[in-house]
Amino acid sequence: MIEINDVSKDFAGIKSMNLTIPDGKIIGFLGPNGAGKSTTIKMMTGILPIDAGTITLNGFDIEKEPIQAKQHIGYVPDQPDMFLRLKGIDYLNFIGDIFEVPETTRKERIERLTTQFNIYEALQDYIQTYSHGMRQKIIVTGVLLHDPDIWILDEPLTGLDPKSAYMLKEMMREHAAKGKTVFFSSHGLEVVEQLCDEVAIIKNGELIFYGGLAEMRKQFQTNQSLEQVFLELTSDE
Amino acid sequence: MNRTWLLIKTILKMHYSRAGKSNSQIGLLVVAALFLIPLVFFYLSSLREIINTLYDALNPLGQETVIIGLLFVVMHVLLFFMSFITVLSAFYFAEDIISFLPYPFHGYQLLLGKSAQPFIYLYITSAAIYLPAFVYYGNAASASFFYYIIGFILFILLPIIPFSIASILLMFVMRFVNITKNKERSKIIAGIASLSFIILINVVVRLNTNTEMMMQDVASYIQEKDGLLKLITSFYPPAYFSTMALASGGLLFFLGILILTGIAFLLFICLGQIWYIKGLLGTGNKKSHKKTTGTVSKHIKKRPVWLSYIRKELLVIFRTPTFLMNCVIQSLFAPVFLFIIFMLDSGTSVTGMMDIFSTKEQLLVLFLASMFILGANATSYTSLSREGKDWNSNLFLPLQPKQIFYSKIAVAWIINLIPIGLILAACIFAFKLSFTLTFIWLIIVLLSSWFTSMLGTYLDLDNPKLNWTDEQEVFKTRMIGLIAVIIEIGLFGLLVLLVWNISFIQGLYLTSGILLILLVTAILIIDYLLKSKLKQNAHQRI
Repeated sequence: MIEINDVSKDFAGIKSMNLTIPDGKIIGFLGPNGAGKSTTIKMMTGILPIDAGTITLNGFDIEKEPIQAKQHIGYVPDQPDMFLRLKGIDYLNFIGDIFEVPETTRKERIERLTTQFNIYEALQDYIQTYSHGMRQKIIVTGVLLHDPDIWILDEPLTGLDPKSAYMLKEMMREHAAKGKTVFFSSHGLEVVEQLCDEVAIIKNGELIFYGGLAEMRKQFQTNQSLEQVFLELTSDE
Repeated sequence: MNRTWLLIKTILKMHYSRAGKSNSQIGLLVVAALFLIPLVFFYLSSLREIINTLYDALNPLGQETVIIGLLFVVMHVLLFFMSFITVLSAFYFAEDIISFLPYPFHGYQLLLGKSAQPFIYLYITSAAIYLPAFVYYGNAASASFFYYIIGFILFILLPIIPFSIASILLMFVMRFVNITKNKERSKIIAGIASLSFIILINVVVRLNTNTEMMMQDVASYIQEKDGLLKLITSFYPPAYFSTMALASGGLLFFLGILILTGIAFLLFICLGQIWYIKGLLGTGNKKSHKKTTGTVSKHIKKRPVWLSYIRKELLVIFRTPTFLMNCVIQSLFAPVFLFIIFMLDSGTSVTGMMDIFSTKEQLLVLFLASMFILGANATSYTSLSREGKDWNSNLFLPLQPKQIFYSKIAVAWIINLIPIGLILAACIFAFKLSFTLTFIWLIIVLLSSWFTSMLGTYLDLDNPKLNWTDEQEVFKTRMIGLIAVIIEIGLFGLLVLLVWNISFIQGLYLTSGILLILLVTAILIIDYLLKSKLKQNAHQRI
């Protein structure tokens, strides 16, 4: 469970944001560019300090008990250009060591996941030589390697080929089905529509809607697509 | 021309952009400048003293022009080497050049755009050495106003010839020799080659110096006016022309150097137009993937977190050519030089130099020299900055900030073991120091290394540079290295001076005991400062 209580961040214009995300759900986080999505995600993952309010992940406060909170999350950043000088296998070993994944589990998961993602044969290469999609896949593999309860993904499907995107979506569904949480930001409204149980829409640092798609249509008394509702909600008029 | 100017401006703006920099750097710069003022005075007065003494000695023999000749030769050689290193990284290895390729620029325009920043370095170097030297010579010779005008024009022209020669050589190599096929490796090879070249010259000069024959040569040249000048500039006409233009006011020579500079610059532009873009096109290629054969499972190993973190840092340093050059290979410069000088001179005056000191003084000299060498190592003061955009991963992964920072300090300490090993070899084989002194020095230097590693890491936390696009930016256009050395040498230089002069501190054990207490105190202070910074979440507020 993720709980965001009265969170503010001055430079991003986020004021007293409240959001409770229950277990077992896939939540899409939407908003126009510059609305505060990445800032919110960065506060949730401990990258940015919170000016006011609290964020708890499975009951652990990200500022007061950062290590315990971070043990419960797997984060895929919007830019997968990380650890470029490491080989794929070095990176996965590093993540495995940090999350103390036992060697046998590690072996099984690395072989299975990288084969599924079709990057097994590139594991001995430097991440620098990977394409954007391959970098995305190695980061996602790193997250799945330690099997966290909460997935926080910033634009996770960008750059993935259709097969890998399909696989990742299936994995997200399976994860939620196990009673765990998936929270992801996206600009792909179709993906959100087919995948999410609930959506959170943010505009100028303010949460303007949180709930299921059916609820959204009911609230705005429309049968329009998510795209049209989103455009109306986030327009400046 | 407008487009060239626009390109130069844009490239410089990108290079010196203050985006993402904090204002605290200005404060640090002021502190550094205050520390530097006495050094600048010392440098200028020593330079004036040297030039005046040389002038007084050489003037009666009619050989005073050799001072200016030597100045030009030294400047040209220095600027050539500087150009070699800056040109390679600016022209070929800086990532930003690739982004200009799709735009409609001529090769020579890109070349001029990329030359601006190396030229700034060359002019700063020239201004620091050439300008005061030529002014002091002018004063000593009571030169006319005309001398200063010519001298200043020569200052403007000075970097052009060495820069053009270095660039043309490199452009030729990059165009026709396939070193660009492996950009990464060629960066390391170029760095190591220039280091070896300098060492080789040093060795050759030392081995071939036959003092007696040289004195005979000098004696015969000294008979003729400006003979010494001809001797030292005979192999390099630009230095001879510049000297004659300046020291003898020869207008023909001045015209000569103008023409030589013009030719060099034209050649640089023309050959650049033909070779540059073609040579550059090969550098952006990535290596194709090799298929992993066999199973990867033998590479899957569990390690403790601290070891895994240190291993990751070391892998990144050794696999990134720019980091390897600046953190590891450059830290070998000073010890390798010391080692060669003392090894080749063994048994002569230089080695015997240590004997004039008491054991206490030997320890203090060694301590300060080692502190300087370790403090100059870039690994510590780039601990955070090296990570660039990867820094965020330290924040979202479940790692204690203390664990991250102590691991980084440990990495700098481990890298320092390489120069320490070399100095140790020098102590044993060249200085032939006693076992006790060497052993005590080793303990002290290992602690000093922890201190310099901590201080560098602390300074980098205070003012890191994470927003870089090219790894070179982590090392260049930053004052942090200078600030670190000034603090270390300023502080311990003062303390060593005190211990040196306090007469009741005698003997190896008392001196080393005091040094150990001072070091431990310094380490505890930095440790306290680092921990308080981390308590305020400074690592999150970068």
